[in-house]
Amino acid sequence: MSQAALDRDAALGGDPAAAARAREDELLAACESLVGLALRAGAHEAEAFATRTDKASATFEKGDLKLAHVDEGASIGLRVFRDARLGFAATNQFDRAALETAARAAVALAAASPADPANRLPDARPVAASAGLAHAGLAAAGIEEAVDLGHGLVRGARAFDARISVDGASAGVLRVSQAIHSSRGVRAAESDALVTLSISGMALDGTEVGGFHYQSDAVRDPARIAPAARELVDAFARVTAGNLGAERARSSYQGPVLFSPDALLDLFVAPVLAATSAIAVQRGRSALATRLHERIASAGFTILDRPDDTELAGAGSFDREGQPALPFALVEDGWLRGWMYNGYAAAVAGRLSTGHARGGARSVPGLGAHAVSVAPGAGGSRADLVRALGRGLLVQRFSGSVDPASGDFSGVAKSSRWVEGGREVGPVRETLLSGNAYALLARIALVGGVAERVDGAARAPWALVDGVDVTAG
Amino acid sequence: MSAPTAADPTDVLLEALSAAPGGFVELRWHKKSTRGLSVEKGRVDNATAAEHSGVGVRVLESGTFGFASTDRLEKAAIVRAIGQARAAARASARARTERVPDLPAVPLARGRFDAAGVDATLARPIEEALGLLLEVERGARAASTRIQSASTGYSEIFEEKGIVTSDGAKVWTRCVRPEFRVVAVASKAGEMQRGAEAVGVTGGWDCLFESRGAAELAERAARQAVDLLDAGYPEGGRKRVILSPALVGLLTHEAVGHTVEADFVASGSCAAGRLGTRVASDLVTLCDSGSSEYKDGAGGTLAVDDEGVPTGRTTIIEHGYLRSYLHDRESAARSGVAPTGNARAWEYDDEPLIRMRNTYIAPGSSSLEELIAGVEDGYLLDGASNGQADANGEFMFGTREAYRIVHGKRGPLLRGVNISGSAFDVLQTVDAVGSEFRWDLGSGHCGKGQPAKVDAGGPWLSCEVVLGGRKS
Repeated sequence: MSQAALDRDAALGGDPAAAARAREDELLAACESLVGLALRAGAHEAEAFATRTDKASATFEKGDLKLAHVDEGASIGLRVFRDARLGFAATNQFDRAALETAARAAVALAAASPADPANRLPDARPVAASAGLAHAGLAAAGIEEAVDLGHGLVRGARAFDARISVDGASAGVLRVSQAIHSSRGVRAAESDALVTLSISGMALDGTEVGGFHYQSDAVRDPARIAPAARELVDAFARVTAGNLGAERARSSYQGPVLFSPDALLDLFVAPVLAATSAIAVQRGRSALATRLHERIASAGFTILDRPDDTELAGAGSFDREGQPALPFALVEDGWLRGWMYNGYAAAVAGRLSTGHARGGARSVPGLGAHAVSVAPGAGGSRADLVRALGRGLLVQRFSGSVDPASGDFSGVAKSSRWVEGGREVGPVRETLLSGNAYALLARIALVGGVAERVDGAARAPWALVDGVDVTAG
Repeated sequence: MSAPTAADPTDVLLEALSAAPGGFVELRWHKKSTRGLSVEKGRVDNATAAEHSGVGVRVLESGTFGFASTDRLEKAAIVRAIGQARAAARASARARTERVPDLPAVPLARGRFDAAGVDATLARPIEEALGLLLEVERGARAASTRIQSASTGYSEIFEEKGIVTSDGAKVWTRCVRPEFRVVAVASKAGEMQRGAEAVGVTGGWDCLFESRGAAELAERAARQAVDLLDAGYPEGGRKRVILSPALVGLLTHEAVGHTVEADFVASGSCAAGRLGTRVASDLVTLCDSGSSEYKDGAGGTLAVDDEGVPTGRTTIIEHGYLRSYLHDRESAARSGVAPTGNARAWEYDDEPLIRMRNTYIAPGSSSLEELIAGVEDGYLLDGASNGQADANGEFMFGTREAYRIVHGKRGPLLRGVNISGSAFDVLQTVDAVGSEFRWDLGSGHCGKGQPAKVDAGGPWLSCEVVLGGRKS
């Protein structure tokens, strides 16, 4: 950004809302200018999307401050269509010469691409502004607050258990503004502010190195920052210290496994998200393509996209194409309810986008969910679920791969515990999981009663799933 | 996008450096230009040209590091960023328990370093790459009536850097890293399987397709997807396996490489305190190098790291004994050793972290046939997917294909599984090392807060791991 823009922001520092609006106006002006340049360069349709990020972060390594990082930067991306041919260019330089270069590059790429009748920009639709994204209380926060927060994470973990070695911790204050303008009348802008927290490490006891664990969060409400930091440290420390003394799982088996919210999202929700992309369905690579309006999961299992949930990082009022981002049911009580569409997939299907264009300024809009939320069920608390499991494996993190085409998964159960007689009896190591995510959706036996926030980006409960292959190392 | 920079960027950096005297300052101008294309079912999903450039500023002030950046390669903007970095360091110094001492003098690079293939790759019209992707994707779809979908992708990262430090580095580097990938999805009776091949190098197109052409890669991906439809599952448990060069690369990178990064060592990784001790079979010599050893084009090749330190070859394990960690300037100073040239930053606004470059196990003397003949009951595993490792050395990585070996004979194809083990325990079980060497992880990225282009590889190798198979 220009020095003038930075000076103006500094002058408006006392009025956060005005400063955010000024940043949005500047981005909108840049987008408008770039769209104009693209049309003059030969584009028939053009869409520019720009972001500006101001960041202050402190990173800690082996329990000590490593680096204080302050930064501001902006990027702008241009998508053009010429005779229904796609071209895209992006730059972080906002001077006129750089924008002209980007416009020419995008049009040149479009000239080289084959035509596709679905290559057209979406029309403008009304967007209702989200409340609570850019809280005024975060406007003045900077490097000193980030250092204090990060330091608090490190101290908290050590205070919990001196055996914990904090490999890395970080805290940051992030202010993001974004804007979009297109030749089809789309015009929107929004600002957001977040505090990000993360901590990773392991516990050491003599020569024993416990299993690594990682925990993160993102918070918008200033009143929630301190409690969120405490909860983060507490959760991290409990798992990390609990990983010491791990033994091999007592047996290999095929049967029930209790999954944490994090593991549930990785193993069972991520493939559903991939398979409910309308593009995956249209291109013949969705395993759920023929199952719309069928029951694909056990009763009580519901997956929603909640861009209106401002406690989740992906919340916002519009998507990467300026279309309204609205609550959307993917799976309801086990029934597959709908596909996610961006503008391209909607054009192929001859319908409106569901507002699921995703991505930043530096790439062509993709397709995905904003803020995934798995609804709580009737399974009660974690302790209730452990009792229901009786004997077997409890998995807190999954480190492996799930093939979205087949649903086959295989990987290591991390920070896992062995359950015997309805209670957790100790940590286990070198235990592998495998199975098929789509098949096992129908074997979700119990869904926990509390949907926990996961990394500040999603919500999910604990869940007990039957039929999983467990291999003790 | 814009043409390569004609003027030496270090001139402006030096002007800014002299205008902001006092303490250690590192300035890194980094311009990253990318071209990316992707095609699926005959449709172009991505045709991108992008550029991201600016100057990252790192200072050592009040016993701690401060970092700031500017997107302008202009003296005034850089001087302002130096001031911001110093202010950030001062504001945070109270939280630093162990002050960073002044960095000792080390040999720093000066001059211009251009990797192979830059001019030829940049001169190649993007239409040529797009034409290739469309043709190869069409070929993959035509390979079998069971292929439902195919996609191809090409990306090219062209990087220019100018690095100066207040203690003498003055470097201008250029390199290009092209990458090609193909994915095929096959289906039968409602079941789907996926085949994938990818290659990435530091160098030009000749290097990219030196071992296998794009059409051959597509044919392999399509065949893999179709064949896996009829394949069974391996049985889980602790097994003797023969790992392909790609999987040996994953093993060296995930299971060993990360645990010997000095920042991870300082946090208590399983490699801490084990220098000079036996950690592997004496058949194992494992290195990390800024050069492309044995074969050209390794994807993590770089002449100078982002602290201005010339890269070299670091022998991590020598005939089974742990010999060295991977260092940046700070960790090397604390350990009283020379930096190993492993400080790398993804973009101008990222600070340098300790990262690997090209990590490998040195080849031995056995042929693949001899390795297979030496296995009484086990598996041959090929095709790397993702991988991760823990501080305690416990690793996990995915394989795409498995073949049962019984009495020294290779059986039919089975579905790939994830494998796991503890790094140094697994390396102790190595009983044979092949002679054929291959770099095989040049596509994709390593993640450690920031992405990094790395490569890894080695020969075929026989060892013992845990397979995550099926009970039914």
